[in-house]
Amino acid sequence: MTEQTTTPDTIGAADAPKWSRYKYPESLYKHGTLLLILLFLGYSLHFLNVDIGLLIGALGRFAGVVSDRYYPPDLEYVLDWGYLASILDTLQMSFLGGFAGVCLAIPLAWFSAWNVSPNRRVLFPLGRLGVISCRAIHETIWTILFVSVLGFGMLAGVSALTMFCIGFAGKLFADEIEAIDMGPVEAMRAAGASSFQVFLFAVVPQVRVAFTGIAIYTWDVAFRAATVVGFFGGGGMGWYLKRNVQQLENLRVAAIILSIIVMVLIAEFLSGWLRAAVNRAK
Amino acid sequence: MAVLTVKDLKVRYSAKGPEILKGIDFEVQDDDFLAIIGPSGAGKSTLIRCVNRLVEPTAGSIRLLGEDVCSLNAKALRNLRRNVGMIFQEFNLINRMSVMDNVLSGRLGYTGNIRSFFRAFPQDDVKQALYYLDRVGLSDHINKRADELSGGQRQRVGIARALMQRPKLLLLDEPTSALDPKISREVMALIRDIARELKVPALCNIHDVQLAKEFCNRIIGLQDGYKKFDGATETMRDADLDVIYEMEVL
Amino acid sequence: MTAIDVSPAALAQQGDLRRKRFLKMGLIWALVLVFIGWCVQGTIIEDTDWSRIGGRNGILASVGRYFSLDLGLLPELVIPTLETFMMACVGTVLGCFFSLPVAWLGAANVTPSKAILYPVGRFLMVLSRSVHEIVWALIFVSAVGLGALPGILAIAMRSVGFISKITAEAIENIDAKPVEAIRAVGGNQFQVMYYGILPQIYPVVLATVIFEWDINIRRSAVMGLVGAGGLGLLFFRQMNSFNYSGVSMVIVAILLLILLGEVISHYLRKAVI
Repeated sequence: MTEQTTTPDTIGAADAPKWSRYKYPESLYKHGTLLLILLFLGYSLHFLNVDIGLLIGALGRFAGVVSDRYYPPDLEYVLDWGYLASILDTLQMSFLGGFAGVCLAIPLAWFSAWNVSPNRRVLFPLGRLGVISCRAIHETIWTILFVSVLGFGMLAGVSALTMFCIGFAGKLFADEIEAIDMGPVEAMRAAGASSFQVFLFAVVPQVRVAFTGIAIYTWDVAFRAATVVGFFGGGGMGWYLKRNVQQLENLRVAAIILSIIVMVLIAEFLSGWLRAAVNRAK
Repeated sequence: MAVLTVKDLKVRYSAKGPEILKGIDFEVQDDDFLAIIGPSGAGKSTLIRCVNRLVEPTAGSIRLLGEDVCSLNAKALRNLRRNVGMIFQEFNLINRMSVMDNVLSGRLGYTGNIRSFFRAFPQDDVKQALYYLDRVGLSDHINKRADELSGGQRQRVGIARALMQRPKLLLLDEPTSALDPKISREVMALIRDIARELKVPALCNIHDVQLAKEFCNRIIGLQDGYKKFDGATETMRDADLDVIYEMEVL
Repeated sequence: MTAIDVSPAALAQQGDLRRKRFLKMGLIWALVLVFIGWCVQGTIIEDTDWSRIGGRNGILASVGRYFSLDLGLLPELVIPTLETFMMACVGTVLGCFFSLPVAWLGAANVTPSKAILYPVGRFLMVLSRSVHEIVWALIFVSAVGLGALPGILAIAMRSVGFISKITAEAIENIDAKPVEAIRAVGGNQFQVMYYGILPQIYPVVLATVIFEWDINIRRSAVMGLVGAGGLGLLFFRQMNSFNYSGVSMVIVAILLLILLGEVISHYLRKAVI
């Protein structure tokens, strides 16, 4: 197209200024970092003994395995009373874990919110540490630990879910508290209120609605976790999952996974609806 | 010779929506700097976007550079679009990219996918970009990010990007309405000078009648989707403006 | 401000409203408490083998077992820790690759077909998030066998939902003006995406990916529990051989790894924004 040009072609002159996209040393650092990351990923694949062929074909294989071994799901199995009762157990566990977790998370969040923490030397780091350690350890590990202390059963599952919910809700609560308007807090402090009174009268009214929403969301997430705590001895649906996985009853496993998906979708829908209702009612 | 011929152009955005343009005819000659004026909501922006089919016309015909715009397929339309430089009201720059990359993006129509993926534009394009950046007075800002510039500077980037296409027609969509009056005048003067230099005709939406009178040789007045005036700038009278803007005589 | 009505009738009405609100809140709380009580009855009181726990001393004794560290395990920890970290990294990157098409399908303004592919994209997002990572790992272990690969795939699949959802939202919220400009210069579909859309969404997407990577380290640490290698496997072995101080050691390793992840992601996020 250049021969049809309408612009003056005087730009090819020898004294034309030069420009290059690459600048030393910024571009070197940037591309060097990128290269290092790629090398690290490649080395990881090697280190982890990942068969690249298997990785590339994994999704196709996944579809093949699902259609060969997991189809058709044994739906009669999941409509059995024993299993339906375990769904109810799972629901109850998630409610209890969520409720206890939220109740414990509120004081911890209060301690670990820098702006209103009652004691920045002692309680603030304690609250932070509590929330962070609950968060850092995965719910399945909590389950295994509680099972080893409390034995198999839903008490261990509820305790594990409680820890999980403290970590999950505690962080969201603390973030919410740290974002409040400090005006009322100062007013209360100026009026001579104690830390607890400040929390009750200046903080709680501001975060009540947000906390309710977070609490509902916590339950939703806790339910997702509750579907698997049984796998490690915590009771509920996961226990059936484990038994059938071990017995290689793949069609039943498929049905159980399907039921988990359906229940989680219902829970998610319910929690979305509730949160919308709370936001409307505020 | 007419670069652009528009006949009986009608546009509505949805089947039941109001008709935005209600049958517009006009021509752009190859030495025109044509202004389209009119109150907001008159359909100026829609009209100018029909020319390169950023908005799909509902009825009518548009002939641009000897081709029937409305009947082109996607590939042919892209080929036509790269001959038409467009300058926007709010500059439409890619904010997170550098000034240079923004200017070079004017060449995308001529650049393959692989080259554009690596932003590896040919050396000639880079030279041309440097030339136009110098021409619009941005030589000192080549490596800055587009969102670090002031409004007037950003519009200059927009101008350089449009020039990179080596356009055969310039479409200007309110190029000055996001700028203050002094900068507006500078930018309009720059566009007019470059258009003369490169012998490119221009079609310019503008709401500021003073600027239109000062810089354009012909004016089209639009009001509520109808053309109310079409003639050389010198022939426009205040009465014509009253018709276009439906001013009430107090 | 309106003047306050202090007539007896108005005050009575105020009181009525208040009482009603109290009644309503009280009712809700009572319901919640009854419900919780029922749950406690069903799940805790009936389902627990209290004699197995053996009172307060029994609990203290079984908790106490964890309060020591088996430093002899240190050399065995290095490789699983590295594996866990690598699994999280590779899984996250793979998850990003899977997320791209899903986000493309599930963003209302760029989806190739609003009637068919858009719901498919949305469904994939929900599916990915609603299946727990342990379940994903189980499925992949049965599909590709034991080893790190099922762990990587499980992490990738679990990450798709969140990354693609945020990406799709970012695409839906982009500024249309640069896109229009690229179309006006004659850019094709790919160029419109690469120059018009990508520069606008990549800070959001990168921040999301870093966030997800942080979570994926946690997930990666438990993949071993179902046969996918890393620290989880070591944890499982220590637990099975009743080496409780070894279990504590593994947990400390997990905590340190996660702490490292938090620190790295904190600086990465700063570098991106």
